[in-house]
Amino acid sequence: MAYSQPQHPRLSVLSNSSASSVDHLSPTGSATRFSLPPTVPTSPRPAGVRPNIYDRNITKPRVLDVSGAAFSFMFAEIVSYTQKRVAGINDLERRLNTLGYRVGMRVLELMTWRAEYTSKAPKREIRLLPALMSIQTQVWRAVFGKPADGIQKSVENADEYMIIDNDPSIERHISVPKDMKQLSCSSFTAGIVEAVLDGLGFPARVTAHNTPSAEHPTKTTILIKLEKSVLDREEIIKQ
Amino acid sequence: MSHHLFILSPSDTPIYSLTHSSSKPVTSVSSPLASNLPTWSTSAFAGTLTALSGASSASNHTASGGVRMGGGQDRHVIQMIANASLDAVEDVMRKENTMYLKSVDKFNEWTVSAFITPGNTKFLLLHEGKNDDGIKSFFTDVWELYVKTMLNPFHTAHTLIKSPVFDTRVRQSAKKYL
Repeated sequence: MAYSQPQHPRLSVLSNSSASSVDHLSPTGSATRFSLPPTVPTSPRPAGVRPNIYDRNITKPRVLDVSGAAFSFMFAEIVSYTQKRVAGINDLERRLNTLGYRVGMRVLELMTWRAEYTSKAPKREIRLLPALMSIQTQVWRAVFGKPADGIQKSVENADEYMIIDNDPSIERHISVPKDMKQLSCSSFTAGIVEAVLDGLGFPARVTAHNTPSAEHPTKTTILIKLEKSVLDREEIIKQ
Repeated sequence: MSHHLFILSPSDTPIYSLTHSSSKPVTSVSSPLASNLPTWSTSAFAGTLTALSGASSASNHTASGGVRMGGGQDRHVIQMIANASLDAVEDVMRKENTMYLKSVDKFNEWTVSAFITPGNTKFLLLHEGKNDDGIKSFFTDVWELYVKTMLNPFHTAHTLIKSPVFDTRVRQSAKKYL
C-alpha cells in the first residue's frame, strides 16, 4: 500500500461510541427505530480489497424478495431520467426496451443456470411454444414473483403472440399523464422478453401496450412479433 | 496434449481464449493423409499446409517433447479449425436441446466439442483425445464462471473477458479435468 489508512475507514463514521450516543439521544432509546443493522462486520477485510464476483455464490437464495418500495422508487427514477433525454414517446419506449434487454440477457442466463446446473445434461429450449410458455411462467416468476396471467396466439397474424399481465408490478405506482396515453412503461418488460427470445434463438420485436379492461384498469399486453425465419424453422422442425 | 478453449459471443466474435497443455497421455489418432503427403518445406505456407493436411502430428514431434513448430499447433491454424467448426455447431444446436454438444466436428487430430449457453454464447474446445466426462465437467465450471461474468453490469455480451480471476479459475478447472 502506498499510503496508510486507519484500520476500518468505514467504521470510523459509525463507531460504536457514536452509535450509542445516538441511541442515548433518541426519544425512545430503542435501537430498533433505526433500520440500519449494527455495523459490526464479522470478518473484516483488509482495506482496499473488494469482494470478487467469482467468489460469490449465485445459487438461488432462500429469500428472493426485493423491496417493492425500493424497486418502485428506482424504476420511477429510471423513467424520469430517460424521459428527460428523449424526443417522444416512441423514443422513450425504445430506450426502456433497451434497458430491459440488458436485464433480460442476465435473467435468462442466471435463471437457466439455477435450474440446470445440477443436471447431468443441461438443456436449452429449442422449440418456440415451450420457450414462450417458459417465459410466461419461469421468467415472470423469476422477475416478478408470479406467473403472467395469460398467453395468447394472435388470430389474425400467425407470427404474433401476446403475453398478458393484469396488474404489472413495475407500473403499480406509475400513473401516465393524459397527453402521453399510448406510453406503456412495461416496455421495460418487453425488453426483458425480447432478450430472452433473442438469446434462445427466436429473434422478435417485442412491444408493450395498454389494454385496460373493466376489472383490470392496468392490464398490459406484451406483443411479440416473431421474425419470419423463426416460423420457417418451426415449420421445418415439425415435418 | 493440448487443449484450446474459445468463448464466442452470440455474434461469433471471440471474447476469451485459452491454451492449455495437459500432462495426461494422448490417445493418438492417426491421420491417413499425413503419410502420403509430399514435403512442403520450401513453400512459404509450409506450416499451414502441412497442418491442414494433418502431417504435422506425424512428423513434427520432437524427441524432447518440447517445442512443436509449425504443424497443427499453430495459432492461426487452431483458430481456423475453431471457426470452421462453427458451421457444424450451428447445425447441431438447432436439433439438439442439450447445452453440451460432444465431438461436433473433427479435423485431422483435432476434435471439437462445444457448449452453448442459453444466451447463445458458445464455448468451443479443441482437444485431441477422448475425455467426454472431463470435458463436460470443465464446461460446467466455465459456464458458472461465465454466468458470474455476465452478471457484472459493465459486461455486455460482446466485451472481452479480461478478468485475471476468470482466467485463473478457468486454468484451475482445466488442470483438474483436462
